[in-house]
Amino acid sequence: MLKANDIGYWYDRQENSLFEHVNLEFKSGHSYAIVGQSGSGKTTFLSLLAGLDKPRAGQIELNGEPINQLGLTNYRKSHVAIVFQSYNLFTYMSPLNNLLTAMAVTSSSHKGDKKFAMDMLQTLGITDEQMTKNVQKLSGGQQQRVAIARTMVCDAKLVVADEPTGNLDEENTQYVIEQFQKIAHEQHKCVIIVTHEPDVAAACDYAYRLAKHEFTLEA
Amino acid sequence: MNFFKRAWLNLTAKKGRSILLILVTSAIMLFVLAGLLIRNAADTATNNAKQSVGATVTLSANREAAFKKMRSSTSTSKTSRPKLTTSPVKLSDAAKIAKLNNVASCTATVSTSANATGFDAISTSGSSDSNGGGMKGMGGSTTSSGDIAISGVTSTSATSAFENSSSKITKGRGITTADEGTNNVVIESELAKEDSLKVGDSIKLKATTGTKKTYTLKVVGIYKASSSTSTQQGPGATDPANSVYTSYTFANTVKGAKYKNTADSVTFNVSDPAKVSSVKTAGKALINTSKYSLTTDDSSYQTVKASMANVKSFADKIVWLVAIAGTIILALIVILMIRERRYEIGVLLSLGEARWKIVAQFFTEMVMVLIVSIAIAGAGGKFVGNQLGQQLVSQQTTTATTTSSTSTQQGPGGSGAPGSSGTGSVSAQKQAELDINVSVMDLVELGGFGLAIMFLSIMLASGGILRLQPKKVLID
Repeated sequence: MLKANDIGYWYDRQENSLFEHVNLEFKSGHSYAIVGQSGSGKTTFLSLLAGLDKPRAGQIELNGEPINQLGLTNYRKSHVAIVFQSYNLFTYMSPLNNLLTAMAVTSSSHKGDKKFAMDMLQTLGITDEQMTKNVQKLSGGQQQRVAIARTMVCDAKLVVADEPTGNLDEENTQYVIEQFQKIAHEQHKCVIIVTHEPDVAAACDYAYRLAKHEFTLEA
Repeated sequence: MNFFKRAWLNLTAKKGRSILLILVTSAIMLFVLAGLLIRNAADTATNNAKQSVGATVTLSANREAAFKKMRSSTSTSKTSRPKLTTSPVKLSDAAKIAKLNNVASCTATVSTSANATGFDAISTSGSSDSNGGGMKGMGGSTTSSGDIAISGVTSTSATSAFENSSSKITKGRGITTADEGTNNVVIESELAKEDSLKVGDSIKLKATTGTKKTYTLKVVGIYKASSSTSTQQGPGATDPANSVYTSYTFANTVKGAKYKNTADSVTFNVSDPAKVSSVKTAGKALINTSKYSLTTDDSSYQTVKASMANVKSFADKIVWLVAIAGTIILALIVILMIRERRYEIGVLLSLGEARWKIVAQFFTEMVMVLIVSIAIAGAGGKFVGNQLGQQLVSQQTTTATTTSSTSTQQGPGGSGAPGSSGTGSVSAQKQAELDINVSVMDLVELGGFGLAIMFLSIMLASGGILRLQPKKVLID
């Protein structure tokens, strides 16, 4: 589904590149973890896959088509859903409106379907009362669930998550891990998670380690 | 069009910020509206002045040419004393001018004097004795020497004294065109009181020239001259209370047979003051300019026009200054708002929202604020506009009055005759009042200004949105 073709990235000089000549393939129905030390370039790699930035070398292909040709805005809108460590929800909205807004912006096939969004929130443990409250009144774990629900109501086949359990306790971490696996295996989407946590990496189907500017598949 | 919903959700969720935005925008809109109202009111006042203040063109003897003729005769004839000879205006000439475009009406004036017979004229220390007093003035006539000043008119209501209310009919009626050929008279209230005269009584006047015939006149009205008019006289002038109005035909009869169908002057009222010059030019083509002259008087209109032009200019400055300052203030607020909401913008960009739609969301929010602000400004605009407008007008009127009073002061020997005082400034002051009202069109105009201000401020601030990179906001 998604292919990194010989991509490289550096900030100021190529000699100080974060990584170069990376060739990886990510398939639908699987979950992938990217692990590595802080500052190794994991999140930067994820931002390239999410279409938030462009690689300095090489190209990323979606189903054989370079994402640059699709247009990064269009690519993000139609093909990618992103979950962040700090949730990045619309703070002035309720959980329900967060989902409805995401569905409207991404032109989801369920656009405007309030019941669909409510069912999704309920599935992730958000009560009816919590759905219409301001999202900031929810706990961190609940907010991350809303963020995950947001990726599930959109039609994007690629879900990328940057440290999604970084701010969560053990119980919520376990819950979030399970949800991502469901997204990959039940919704048949491609899930790519950047994480520091071994439990999260272990739960994924594949884990790549970024070290010394290279990706290696872990056993 | 999800940005409409987002804009609404944002405004309703952040009430405190929205109220502050509404207050700031209302203040800006209030001053813009006040400026617009004053500007529009000044326009209306100027247009009203065109309709009501009016302007006149006066046909009278060409005194300048007469003086020239007198001097030339002096150089040729050393034996006799030179005499200034002026030609009375022929009514047939006046009729030609009255037919010109933009001439609304005309009124003839004939001035003369006669001696009171059987009643006493008012005697003042400044005037000579009641018999054969030195009456002067009367619109430039030099033929009179009686103690009663006769102003023969077409209609009293068309004279400037009655038009600007410095003289008012208190009993009976004024002279009208129906009085042509009659011996009806309107006398001053002080004279009536002194001689116990009332409407319906008769008085007798004896001509001071020609056959010195005595005429019997019927009092059809009594007028009251304002104190300012009464006091405007110099040494040698008869008391203003001795001024009477008759029809111009009677005044001509008193002057003598050769004055039949003539007048000292004929004043034409021009419907549009802006056309005074063209009426004067067209009129000159119809008369013998060596005998007659045409003079224009649109001073009242010019005073109002100048005063309103100043008010309008100031109002324009208010509108533009507030609009520019408002744009800058709102742009700064929006820039700060964008900095505060960069995460929200980042999330929208990560979801694939088009940048123009994000700009449109901010614009929609500001338009919603603007709608409430226009309603608030509409409610308060009339009050602020009135306060500001009347302050401006009072300053302008003070200036205009000072200018007018300088130009209308009479010198020694000036006439105390009715209608002769320069009171154009009075009517100018009356017209220079602003009628400030908030109309739907004003609000539409304000909305246009508001939209332009909002659009410019959002455009100035949107550079921040257009440059914003979601990776930098959300990940770096």
